[in-house]
Amino acid sequence: MKYLFGVGNYSMFDDSIGIKVVEYISEQGLDKNFQAIDLSGNAINLLAYFNEETESIVIVDSANLGLNPGEYKIFAPSQVESVKELAGISTHEGDIVKIITLAKETGYTIPPIKFLGIEPLLIQNEFGLSKKLEDNLNVYAKAAIDLLDLANLK
Amino acid sequence: MKKDININVHHVTRVEGHGNIHVNIKSGKIEKCEWQVPESPRFFEAMVRDRHYSEVARITSRICGICSIGHTLAAVKAVETALGMEVTKQTKKLRTLIKHAENFDSHVLHVYFLVAPDLLGAPSVFPLIPTHGEVVKRALRLKRLGHEWGSALAGRTTHPTTIIPGGFSMLPTVETLQAVKAKILAHVDDLVETVATVKALAPNIPAFESPTEYLALASKEEYGLYDGVIQSTLPDGKKEQYPLSAYKSVTNEYVSPLSTAKYTKNKMASYAAGALARFNNNFEMLHPEARKVADALGMKPVCTNPYLNSAAQLVEIVHSVYDSLKIIDELIASGIKNEKPVAPTKFSRGANGTEVPRGILFHEYEFDKDGMCTYGNCIIPTNQNHANIQTDFNKLVPELLAAGKTKEEMELALEMLVRAYDPCISCSTHFLNVKFVE
Repeated sequence: MKYLFGVGNYSMFDDSIGIKVVEYISEQGLDKNFQAIDLSGNAINLLAYFNEETESIVIVDSANLGLNPGEYKIFAPSQVESVKELAGISTHEGDIVKIITLAKETGYTIPPIKFLGIEPLLIQNEFGLSKKLEDNLNVYAKAAIDLLDLANLK
Repeated sequence: MKKDININVHHVTRVEGHGNIHVNIKSGKIEKCEWQVPESPRFFEAMVRDRHYSEVARITSRICGICSIGHTLAAVKAVETALGMEVTKQTKKLRTLIKHAENFDSHVLHVYFLVAPDLLGAPSVFPLIPTHGEVVKRALRLKRLGHEWGSALAGRTTHPTTIIPGGFSMLPTVETLQAVKAKILAHVDDLVETVATVKALAPNIPAFESPTEYLALASKEEYGLYDGVIQSTLPDGKKEQYPLSAYKSVTNEYVSPLSTAKYTKNKMASYAAGALARFNNNFEMLHPEARKVADALGMKPVCTNPYLNSAAQLVEIVHSVYDSLKIIDELIASGIKNEKPVAPTKFSRGANGTEVPRGILFHEYEFDKDGMCTYGNCIIPTNQNHANIQTDFNKLVPELLAAGKTKEEMELALEMLVRAYDPCISCSTHFLNVKFVE
């Protein structure tokens, strides 16, 4: 099985872009040969999908990458190091890069993973998305779906 | 020696949201001792206005990524009260099963990932991998169980999809229940090991008594996780019950200059909600296996050490496992009936609540004749605990000072105390109801 996960906080505006991409894919019926899952902020649940039956994983998340708002970048977990100011993992904090590290260090089978990081315009307490990001939902969805196959090919 | 100590912890780690600890001691005299909550409000109660009753729980579920099952249940129950919908016994059992999954999932993460590092002297779970690798792996196995248990019954653990006003949008099959049962049974050994681990670490839990009022749901039918009436237990064991509809006169919200979230109080200056409050209110309703764990940890009601909230969570983890096995057996024996969701019989105002990992949660809504929401109110457990954390600080700091603790030791003790409550601060911010006079 291939999985496409959306990560973020639904009520924090552009931080919700990963979840909105998953919603868009589900609404458009684009999830034909993979599962699109809203992981929200409970990133540690990603570990439930780290097994030999998982062919590939794509994680869509908002990311501070120094790009223009709305632009995206594709990268593997090995290409980045978390600089998030969190203690690691708690019932609420979820640094997904650290969670992948935790999985590696505790002997989990790690499938091929790619991130699709989207530069946010605004992160604040509000439902919705910036127009720039909302207008690009189809672009992000296509890029993420294409990536599932690429990720499978490593 | 009279000391000068300044503790300024901005953004306590391993809690969600923004909470600060400020303690200033000059020449041995405490000048400031504050638990501050500066998070901004999130206005969820405004977001539900003008939305159809079928949408309300979907929106308020987003208040919290951890307690989203609880927020969904509290919202759906309040909607059902407002709309005169009486759900079936099967619905209640299935919802209780899902509630157990949420409590199990959250408590496992809290006990293993927040509390264990403190008790083992580590800043987080990561340094424990080389030294306690098997414990970390066990934590991850149990966390996975919680996720799969909730997902199988609720559609997904985070922001569940199957729970709707009047019942369920999709019912689990008997085969699904059997699979969940098999998964739970396969982890009983991990549960036994978890109890052994916590028992071994229990001597490291600080000894501190801070008697307070404990507020939780209570029921003659169950431990009070899914349903019940509001019950208060005072330090002397005296109990009093209130209907859920009276939640405002029990919580008595008020504004504190230390917090953007409202504080609450009932009979005493503050009260506690959460696992320890449930333990103190509902000890008799715990499964016998859970009571054995309480015995092994030396806990009995009324337990007044707030640091033992984490131990009470372990007791509840065990209760959730065994009570769920019982419920699953009952549901399998009776078979899953293909029940359609109950329809509304009226459109009015209704309040209800449920227990979430951090304590008692209240939701209230009002609907017009078209089923559109005209009013919403949510009182979150972390809110209800802020004043009690401050009360604990006021008692703990002088004790630490008298015991000659260093700044670092005091800081750790205060942070551990906050983490024991497992506050979910962003979830708890709450808008002010104001009237402009200009």
